[in-house]
Amino acid sequence: MSVRRVEHIMGLPISVDLRDGDAELAERAFAWLREADAQFSPFKPDSEVSRLDRGELTREELTPDLVEVLSLCDWYEESTGGAFTARVPGRGLDPCAVVKGWAVQRAADMLREGGATTFCVNAGGDVVTAGEPEPGKPWRVGVRHPDLADQLSVVLGVRDGAVATSALYERGQHILDGRTGQPVSGILSVTVFSDDLAIADTTATAAFALGRDGIEWAAAQEECEVFIVDEDRRVFSSPGLPVHIC
Amino acid sequence: MKRAIPVLALSVAGLVPVWIYSPGAAHEGEINEVAAAPTQEQQQTQQQTVPQTTGSAPKTTGSAAPKTTQQQQQQTTQQQAQNRTVSGPAVNTSEGTVQVQVTLQGTKIVDVKALRAPNSEPTRMALPLLKQSALKAQSADIDTVSGATATSDGYKKSLQAALDGAQ
Repeated sequence: MSVRRVEHIMGLPISVDLRDGDAELAERAFAWLREADAQFSPFKPDSEVSRLDRGELTREELTPDLVEVLSLCDWYEESTGGAFTARVPGRGLDPCAVVKGWAVQRAADMLREGGATTFCVNAGGDVVTAGEPEPGKPWRVGVRHPDLADQLSVVLGVRDGAVATSALYERGQHILDGRTGQPVSGILSVTVFSDDLAIADTTATAAFALGRDGIEWAAAQEECEVFIVDEDRRVFSSPGLPVHIC
Repeated sequence: MKRAIPVLALSVAGLVPVWIYSPGAAHEGEINEVAAAPTQEQQQTQQQTVPQTTGSAPKTTGSAAPKTTQQQQQQTTQQQAQNRTVSGPAVNTSEGTVQVQVTLQGTKIVDVKALRAPNSEPTRMALPLLKQSALKAQSADIDTVSGATATSDGYKKSLQAALDGAQ
């Protein structure tokens, strides 16, 4: 039995294309995403993140999930010399850049634990896939062209994996370089392929925040293959990127 | 011709330190490997260069399993036979002195290492391991789109919305 469903959560259109599961299993994944939004949104005054930010919770009182999210934020902040940060000066704590990929990866894990082997989850352009939509064929994940909304710049062939893209056309003007507080420049789009969407998504966002330095930084990240378009429309791609020949 | 001999001798003498000079990375014996799968030795180098990153990585990795010393030595011997390395001149830049070593397999560049880079140990450069090409636009049959959009307005007009509605 297959299910196809789209719902807007965390401000994102989230599509689930489940080829071997029922509506109840899909609903479990969506319910978790709604819970994650309630718990981690900096825009909801009673979320755990907002309460921590107001000083109503100590580090010892946090749930293990928020501790995990914050430690991911800290690791990427350190690794990028502060270009990526969940704490932009003058603004409240905002771990959204990590929460999105992390929560969607967990939703995919829930589908797997529920017995599904073949599915594709797409959350605002960040993708987790499992299995093969047709025997012997991978999921064909098109990467949007940075200038042309209805065109692709590359197609990846993915079985069990994750693909995330951070781009200027998407929300680039809202990504600030934590080192300078200025909007980032130098890169039009960063696509990262990895086993895990939390890694892929955060790596893509962090590379984007680093600007041109992000090209080399992202390429050096373990377990990540990259496809990066810079302002001069040059493409930098890892030799291990699973490019699908159409 | 007589003048050429001392020049040649001096050139060879100048090359000797280059041959003798063995940056940490040169012992790895896996010149063709991509940066995504560093050996233990490489990771140690990275840890020295960029402290507190690799060590506190959010995820442990099985793919970075270190090779045994014997395997490394065998590979080094084999690759020394096929590859040759050429060192460039030391160039003074505003950031500091940079010197690069290129490994060639025939006429193909297979690796570039920084022998000297500002404020760091000899290290592998990630950039040359990336393939560079021009951006192309294409349309193709796909199952999903990465980088579609984050806003609901954008979504309505996106390829992904078309795909979601297609079935």
